[in-house]
Amino acid sequence: MSFLKKPFAAGILYALILLGFTAYAALDTFVIPRTYSPIISESQSESSAETSSNAESGEMSSESNVSREPDESSLSEWFTETVVQTDMTYSDPHIAITITKYREYGTDIFLADIRLSDPSYLKTAFAKDSFGQNIRALTSTTAKAHNALLAINGDYYGARVGSGGYVLRNGMLYQDRPMSSRVTGTLDDLVMWNDGSFSIINEKTTTADSLMKGGARHLLSFGPTMLSNGQLTVSPETLTGLSRSKNPRTAIGIVDIGHYVFAVAEGRQGNANAGLTVYEMALFLQSHGVTTAYNLDGGGSSTLYFNGQLINHPTDGTSFKERSVSDIVYIGY
Amino acid sequence: MSISVTERNQKSVRRISYVWLITAAAVAVAGRVYEHFSHEIYSFPMMYAFLYPLLAGALPYQTLALLEKRSPGRLSRGLYNAGVVSLTVGSVFDGVLEIYGTSNSLTSVYAVAGVILMTAGLLLYLLSPHTRKKQSKDG
Repeated sequence: MSFLKKPFAAGILYALILLGFTAYAALDTFVIPRTYSPIISESQSESSAETSSNAESGEMSSESNVSREPDESSLSEWFTETVVQTDMTYSDPHIAITITKYREYGTDIFLADIRLSDPSYLKTAFAKDSFGQNIRALTSTTAKAHNALLAINGDYYGARVGSGGYVLRNGMLYQDRPMSSRVTGTLDDLVMWNDGSFSIINEKTTTADSLMKGGARHLLSFGPTMLSNGQLTVSPETLTGLSRSKNPRTAIGIVDIGHYVFAVAEGRQGNANAGLTVYEMALFLQSHGVTTAYNLDGGGSSTLYFNGQLINHPTDGTSFKERSVSDIVYIGY
Repeated sequence: MSISVTERNQKSVRRISYVWLITAAAVAVAGRVYEHFSHEIYSFPMMYAFLYPLLAGALPYQTLALLEKRSPGRLSRGLYNAGVVSLTVGSVFDGVLEIYGTSNSLTSVYAVAGVILMTAGLLLYLLSPHTRKKQSKDG
């Protein structure tokens, strides 16, 4: 008790309280895992999707110019009757993947060209199959768990659980509150519809409920949108912060229904791989015929997994190692 | 030669203001270093966290010294300083979250605690008998 009478005792006590609270807040933000259930189940969304068509609702502004039916004649030339696989290619009767490495802007860029006979082979998965906060796993781990043929890291939804931003995966809605303006990111989301088309929506003008009713299959929320109807939607002047600097990048895009691309650029490797700005990634994808392209979580999260192997070299700039992330986008059965 | 109570008060208050000045500089440098490694993500709470110790810390105490006002009592000083520290720590933590790309409602606790503590310290100083007596004498 005599300690409490010392002049500095109260100060030390308060400092300890402050330190303890800060430690708890940090653990709550970055460490303590919490899982949550979906708001709307897939069975509920499927019954709604049967009676409504996507991109017709007045609340949505679909900017996809792709046709509503896959061009089966052009797709069939890519598939093979049996599984044919190399280090950078895969084909079977339903899925064809070709990964090509390009060198542009002083950076290696891996472009996965994907043809699917059925858009349902384009899937998403949560780390540890659980939606929540501080639930993370390596992209490769989640991909292996789902027998993914090809996978990239997703939109790291885990950073905004509770902060807002729609989370919709595999037809299930997990978070329907629009994104808080405080959280880094844009309000434009990429919607992948049941029919295989892509759309860009804005959370300010489109409700999650309308997306569910319209037949949305997956929604990714990171951004910015890079291409829409084949036109650039970003420029060096409009980009800010991380988007404007050179970094590893992950992007997803569509050429046509049934024809998609995953792109992952190396970066943070000095002169060997400087990285890309979002604008450079947009230009690259535009040059490859992508009509709608969307930027996903980059930096140390950028990961391309194919056939059980990492194709790129994930790094946060200090060491080469894969980063644990909240979710992935993948191709598989 | 003995130092008068007034001079001792002024010295004490000036010393406190210098401590806050150094704290403000340290927070500014730390914030700048953190942002340097954040791959060009900038956060206002992180960038301007140093303003709390500067404007709410160093400035009031320096003003007290210049105006030759009585040094705040230990309790008043402790409460007020704790409030400034709370606001500063809260701002830095908020900046860390913003740079990471997330948020947490717990950060509001720092602001609430900071304002309450600063207000309590200020009221205690203004309403203390010594301050009121001096004010009436000066009046």
